[in-house]
Amino acid sequence: MHEMGIAQNIVEIAVEAARKEGASKVTRINLISGELRGIVPMQLTFCFGIVAKDTMAAGAYLDIEEVPVSGHCKNCNADFSVEEYEYVCPKCGSPNIELTGGTELRIKDIEIE
Amino acid sequence: MKINVMQDVLQANDRIAEENRQLFRKNRNLVLNLMSSPGAGKTSLLEKTAEKLAGKLRLGVVVGDLETTRDADRISKFNIPAIQLTTGSACHLDANMVASALPHLQLDKIDILVVENVGNLVCPAEFIVGEDYKIMILSVTEGDEKPLKYPLMFHESALMLINKIDLVQYTNFNLEEARANARKINPDIDIIEISCTKGTGLDEWIAWLEKHHQKKLGELSHA
Repeated sequence: MHEMGIAQNIVEIAVEAARKEGASKVTRINLISGELRGIVPMQLTFCFGIVAKDTMAAGAYLDIEEVPVSGHCKNCNADFSVEEYEYVCPKCGSPNIELTGGTELRIKDIEIE
Repeated sequence: MKINVMQDVLQANDRIAEENRQLFRKNRNLVLNLMSSPGAGKTSLLEKTAEKLAGKLRLGVVVGDLETTRDADRISKFNIPAIQLTTGSACHLDANMVASALPHLQLDKIDILVVENVGNLVCPAEFIVGEDYKIMILSVTEGDEKPLKYPLMFHESALMLINKIDLVQYTNFNLEEARANARKINPDIDIIEISCTKGTGLDEWIAWLEKHHQKKLGELSHA
């Protein structure tokens, strides 16, 4: 249940950003969540609802954009999506790849009133 | 009105982890974040490690446990400093919890600090605490498919110890399969097969520790 700690952080960051803008309410939070983070959206939404209560973010809609795992081959420069956690280049078979997506956990933007 | 935020959700944690890291650098500590399922053998490994490292390298332990101080009690018997963090309902240690333990340790008298995380294959992988390496234990009674089920943890770990290797004949755990599954997620992961009860592989584990301790000191002297 790392979702609870993550929900707490989301609320803190959103409320802080909204306060800086002089807002009174956060109505929407757009979150980017990489597949490797293992976030269960339903659980995160549930925890968020609890944590946001009595804050400026109470009742805000939490949008979770899930990002699949993607990679870049350092051998042949191909960009590809990683299926089934198969960390090899599908073009040339090289294991010399770097991850370009799937580990992010970031608040992209928020909507305030 | 829409405002751009673009902020990492765990930024607050990562900032504290960086402060821990600075403190560890100052005290020349190699710091390992030890993770596994409950019952995979984290505390047993630390008991054996304390025994084997005695007189060579000074070990220190921060251990997270939900309710009891049993793990710290087991480790303290070996005369090594062990701080227990009772996490209550928290399923992982975060940077702030680890920071709260550090004033209770004489870091300048420790070569290798092991943060024994809460037994859990999911949440601990999310939170860096200031470690140099994440290492994990997979025991043969758990199943060889675990790397595929918990990819983040295996992806983030520098070393996977396969424990309870003495029991492998009584299970359907396939060592080749476990290795292949872990390497699929993390081609660079080191893998050592061990048995804490029989002592198998422990010398190789100690050699891994010594090598990475040397490496850390080397990095510090070049910094």
